[in-house]
Amino acid sequence: MGRVVATEKKPNTAHEFHFWTALDSPVGIGTIVRVDGELPVNGQLPRVYGIVVEGFSYTDLLSPIHDVLGHDGAPGTAAQAATLRAEIRLYTAHVLRQIPEEPLQPVPMGTVALASDEDIAVALRMDTYLKGGTNTGIPAGVYRAGAMEAPIYLDAEFLLGPEAAHLNISGVSGLATKTSAVEWLLASIFTHFPEDKGSVAAVCFNVKGPDLLFLDKPGHLDDADKAIYEKLGVPAKPFERVQYFAPYTAAGFSINTLRSNEQLSHNLSPLTWGLNEVMQFAEVLLNRDDVDAKADAFIDFLQERVINREFKDPVLSTAHRVRSFAELEAFFRDLLRGMEDRSSGEHWRTHHVATIRKVRNRLSNISTRCAGLVTDEGTVSDLPFGSFADRTVYVVDVASVEEDAQDLIFARVVSKLREHLERRDLGVSHVIVFVDELNKYAPAEGPDTYVRKMLLDISERGRYLGLVLFSAQQFRSQVHRRVPGNSGTSLYGRMDMDELATPGYAVLSPATRTKLATLEKGQLMVRHPHFSQPIFVRFPRPAVMRGRDGAELFPPATDLAIDVAVMRSLRQLDPAVSLDWVKRTIAGHDESDVLRARNETLRTKPDNVRSFFESRFRRVVPAEPLSAPAAVPIRALKGDDPYGF
Amino acid sequence: MSDHLDTSFDAVRRRLAAAFSDSGPIGTTRPLEIQSHGVVDAPAVKPAEVIEGSKQVARVVDDASEPRFAAFLDGSQLTLNARWVGVIPVVHGTVSAGVRVRRERRLTTWGAPIVRHALYAPMSLLDAASQQRLRDARIDVVDTLEKREPDSEHPFALQELAYKAVLSDRERAESELAVRWVEKENADLFVDGGISGNAKVAKAANVIGVIKSHQTLYADADGLGVITALKNGERSSVFKVEAGRRTPVVSWYLRIADRSGRDPFWGLVRVEVAVGATGAALTQRADDVSRWIFAERLPLALPDARWDKMAYGIRDAEEYLRAIQ
Repeated sequence: MGRVVATEKKPNTAHEFHFWTALDSPVGIGTIVRVDGELPVNGQLPRVYGIVVEGFSYTDLLSPIHDVLGHDGAPGTAAQAATLRAEIRLYTAHVLRQIPEEPLQPVPMGTVALASDEDIAVALRMDTYLKGGTNTGIPAGVYRAGAMEAPIYLDAEFLLGPEAAHLNISGVSGLATKTSAVEWLLASIFTHFPEDKGSVAAVCFNVKGPDLLFLDKPGHLDDADKAIYEKLGVPAKPFERVQYFAPYTAAGFSINTLRSNEQLSHNLSPLTWGLNEVMQFAEVLLNRDDVDAKADAFIDFLQERVINREFKDPVLSTAHRVRSFAELEAFFRDLLRGMEDRSSGEHWRTHHVATIRKVRNRLSNISTRCAGLVTDEGTVSDLPFGSFADRTVYVVDVASVEEDAQDLIFARVVSKLREHLERRDLGVSHVIVFVDELNKYAPAEGPDTYVRKMLLDISERGRYLGLVLFSAQQFRSQVHRRVPGNSGTSLYGRMDMDELATPGYAVLSPATRTKLATLEKGQLMVRHPHFSQPIFVRFPRPAVMRGRDGAELFPPATDLAIDVAVMRSLRQLDPAVSLDWVKRTIAGHDESDVLRARNETLRTKPDNVRSFFESRFRRVVPAEPLSAPAAVPIRALKGDDPYGF
Repeated sequence: MSDHLDTSFDAVRRRLAAAFSDSGPIGTTRPLEIQSHGVVDAPAVKPAEVIEGSKQVARVVDDASEPRFAAFLDGSQLTLNARWVGVIPVVHGTVSAGVRVRRERRLTTWGAPIVRHALYAPMSLLDAASQQRLRDARIDVVDTLEKREPDSEHPFALQELAYKAVLSDRERAESELAVRWVEKENADLFVDGGISGNAKVAKAANVIGVIKSHQTLYADADGLGVITALKNGERSSVFKVEAGRRTPVVSWYLRIADRSGRDPFWGLVRVEVAVGATGAALTQRADDVSRWIFAERLPLALPDARWDKMAYGIRDAEEYLRAIQ
């Protein structure tokens, strides 16, 4: 197909070489080629694999003006030329691998051929992890050149740990590349992750629209997609096991998600936390500029001495056991009243009353700011930490939640995953956490938030625990460099030219950058520890329903009346629950009592749902209408005694 | 000579240096073609018999250019002084010839090109030991005094003899390829230079020679005025060229580039074809061939300095030979 060339001005090196081809050769930027040397080194003919990173084309013209002169300035006359000028296709390739690897020499002159399937496995060092018996290959897509299509595998040990881990994907929004690529890769991992390496689950944070809300529904695939699925040995089916979690709306009636259609409620669970769950992560919600050291000290005091234990103090009118925001508020009210009544000065246990008031204000505010997620009464509905199932996706929908609540959910879920993985009691040995819009959670600039610190911690230490971060963002340059920097594998979809002009992409050739700026849907550039150069692959559409299609096919439920919302919730436990029964049961009770009863029922999952739900309400004695006293007939008077005697 | 033996200039010069261990002067890497010692024919004007009409006149050729040539033949030479044996120059000559055939407007090589290397030396002026050393250099050795006595024993005169011998070998290589073409192909071949050196080629109807140099002008005084005044797209009357042992051919001058503001020979070529047609057929033949040559004006042969006269196919053949010799 081609021949290696080198000149004094353009010599070959151990990592770069040049070759020319016929004009109609199927070579392009990203093509993988094989060079067969003609002179043995240590008795072995050298073989070099490279990837094309730049291409040149020129004729024997010394100056463009010569062509203008030749055609008298009329481009149309070019077609009249009897002969086409001698023309060259000259390519520059970066070395992927040399065999033998020692001595590492400049690329020799030799013939150039398109790499075959076997060549690509060797060139990308995939041969080291695709061996039978120890196969840890995870299909990432197919590499295409000419009529050839070769599968590209990532090494599970470098994707999910422990050797390296994490994956970062960049690309402009709107091309369905980032989310699609992650959905495809999760399907591939769930199919090919070796049983002997442990179990794996995924926790995906849905941060915008309905992107990840229909992973259990089949999507449209064309024949080309199906062919890739078949070639790569991944079933073209949606995920079999998916669990959805989302907080309630602020009103608390229904779950705050676009996947609220009644037909899809079977695997949708509420996400609600109480005081205990939140206090550990209060830092996430409290503005560090606002909460000074004094307030911080008082919060620590509350956590260590007051919350979840019986607390007595002479200032207090009674002993307090604080287990919910409502009980915390009662504690504060009693404390401040006691300080006022006793005129005990401005300090209580070294804490100034102003600090106490400030902390009361900030903590009480949490349940307001995170309404729907945080409940006053302490009701908890959480991810199944401790019983995570293998090859299961857990989607936490935070798309419709306030920013503070998003941060809280993110921080707590990831921290709990970490805690359980450290104790080896999560239920699975590996968890992939997918976070989109990473530039929002771990920005390159801005305050050092709890969430950012946590993301950095996962990216730097998570691989030892099996906690793997799959992150995505539009602009890699706007993300804290340590997160993508610690990602063993990086994927790039179509990129913005301005982004490509940033220093992070300087290592790529101009042609590669141009290709990145014009990538089609379904194409990615992959960097992986085993690949010495980035390569381009094509992946199929994910076999799941697109968010937009799902939202049209399963329109979200409109705002529900409380009785309908309760009926739908309880029907998940007992399909026999009827609307009439709910209406009868909740008649006369406050909304807060109804919601508390529903939440307790959902949390407890009793055998007899209806009787449990009914038992949560205090008996209401029906009001009896007052009846008028019976009229007492006036005694008849004797006819002649007007005084009644 | 072994096919695998390296007979390139550098290899032969190394072998000679080893053979002549007297530390004598080595040659130069400056080609004789660009040294003042390189010989060219002396300028001459030779009257030629006009066979189209009675005298030289300018004839307008129909401008409808018509690509017709299937291939282009050119030769090349490189003459370098490999060594001095005393004051006797030993010259290394490389001659090559190739045909570039046109397929779908792109040029590729037809058949096998010819590339030959040889040493050229006046053997009778060398002592026996030196002669043996040259013969042992494992390269063909051409005796430049084999059939003649030297005009002078001046080293430059001996160098000229070697240069002429290389030139002669180059013409022979070109003729050899042209004969191969004639024997195998029917399509028209554009030859860079004259065709009269080989009878078979000179008589072939499908070989056209195009000469760019005008050291010898075939015209009388009146005819010379007509020829140098030809305008772009005009040709002279056809005349017959007969020279010594060469085969007679018919020829005409043709202006293929606008000479405004240039010297009289700008864009002027001389065309040679086999003798054959007469009368109106001769005129038709000259007009047809002229149109074929016009068709080769694009693309320009730039950046070659002779682009005004050179067909792009010939430039391509030259570049090809430069790459392989």
